[in-house]
Amino acid sequence: MIKVTLNINDFDRTLLVEPDENLLYTLRERLLLTGTKKGCDQASCGTCTVLMDKKPILSCITPTLRCEGKSIHTIESVAKNGKLHPIQDQLVKHGGLQCGFCTPGFVMTSIEFLEENKNPTESEIKEALSGNLCRCTGYKKIIEAVKAASEDMK
Amino acid sequence: MSVKSYLKPQSVTDALIMAKTHANYLYFAGGTDIQVYLKQQLIKPDHIIDLSDIGELQNIASNDENISIGSMTTLDAISKNNSIYKDFPLIVEAAQSIGTPVIRKTATVGGNILVNNRCNFYNQSFGWRQAIGSCLRDVGDLCQVTKTSGKCFSRNVSDLAAALFCLDAKVIISNQNEGLELSIVDLYNQDGIDFHKHLDHDGILTKIILPIDAGSTWFKKLRIRNTLDFSSLTIAAKVYDNRNFRIGLNGVSMSPVLITGNLDMIDLEGIKSLARKSCKTVDNDMMPLKYRREMIDVYLDQWWVSIQK
Repeated sequence: MIKVTLNINDFDRTLLVEPDENLLYTLRERLLLTGTKKGCDQASCGTCTVLMDKKPILSCITPTLRCEGKSIHTIESVAKNGKLHPIQDQLVKHGGLQCGFCTPGFVMTSIEFLEENKNPTESEIKEALSGNLCRCTGYKKIIEAVKAASEDMK
Repeated sequence: MSVKSYLKPQSVTDALIMAKTHANYLYFAGGTDIQVYLKQQLIKPDHIIDLSDIGELQNIASNDENISIGSMTTLDAISKNNSIYKDFPLIVEAAQSIGTPVIRKTATVGGNILVNNRCNFYNQSFGWRQAIGSCLRDVGDLCQVTKTSGKCFSRNVSDLAAALFCLDAKVIISNQNEGLELSIVDLYNQDGIDFHKHLDHDGILTKIILPIDAGSTWFKKLRIRNTLDFSSLTIAAKVYDNRNFRIGLNGVSMSPVLITGNLDMIDLEGIKSLARKSCKTVDNDMMPLKYRREMIDVYLDQWWVSIQK
């Protein structure tokens, strides 16, 4: 086991991890931050997406030891003071979720995308979310929610 | 857990020293593909040498004659680089066809160039492979595709390689000796198991050099979904002002395939014939073999139409 200090959701956390441990395991099993979901576990579904230095990464394929000195933000940090982030808010309003398993991934991917692109077209949203899979809602409502959130975030 | 240590060198020299002093190591670039290999127990290194902290491998520099790209530059970074966008739109197009937008923020140029060959019967979970039995690249002495013990035909799927082939790119490798500079074409073996050359002596691909040269380019990629999936067929082509052409094909053979010539000396049928002879395509992809072979002709037809305009 290797000692490592990670900055997770603006708090430093020091813990012991295996050399080949991935960030998803560390978040869920060691820090009990279970909002980040384990889906395919092979970089295909996007449900494990978190932000590293404000950029989305797939935590299932990111070695924990690579994250030392970086700032990690998970879905648990997105709502502030009991107030949902505009993307979360619009997903609720548009019914952009059913089981909710994929939702954290969609939210984390969308946050960075909307920070970079303030006025996205539908095709740009589709491209940005093309690595996130949803098996129950379908994508129409999610895309509409992200478009609406882009208006809220202006 | 089989991995004993995770090493983070700060320079290429450090990485080479670590490689020399650690047996059964694995260089780790972006890791977007190789992590899946680790999970599926397709590779079992004792030590991981993560190259992501090496700043000298992440530079993009240009002059009047060429652009050099550090091998650890992410695919997202080269897509957004103005110099590359202006002089090498083909590279941008190829990079943006790889993985998903999120994966491209982690995946690197070097990682894609040196991506492991793929086969439907190899890139599977440990349990799946145990059930199917023999695979020349894994265990046993029988290939599930050809039902022979002769040769592995796993496919090279690097989209950047196809583009770099037709741009006549060079690569620089650092190793325990003097290092070397070679054409990217010389980096690949026509072998489904031992698919890269010149990476012995702990070699690290450090830089890709693209000569700036006028010409028109064309790119097309075949895959089941228009995102994430690896290539079932990639064709990149460049026609120079003197009507010389270079076509890079990938996803259909054990290594990328290069076809060169002059448009005044060969017609479309001749190029198609060369492509068919050069590609050792077998039925090891999700898409049917017959379809993939036909699509080589279809894409070459489309390229031909585009250059007539």
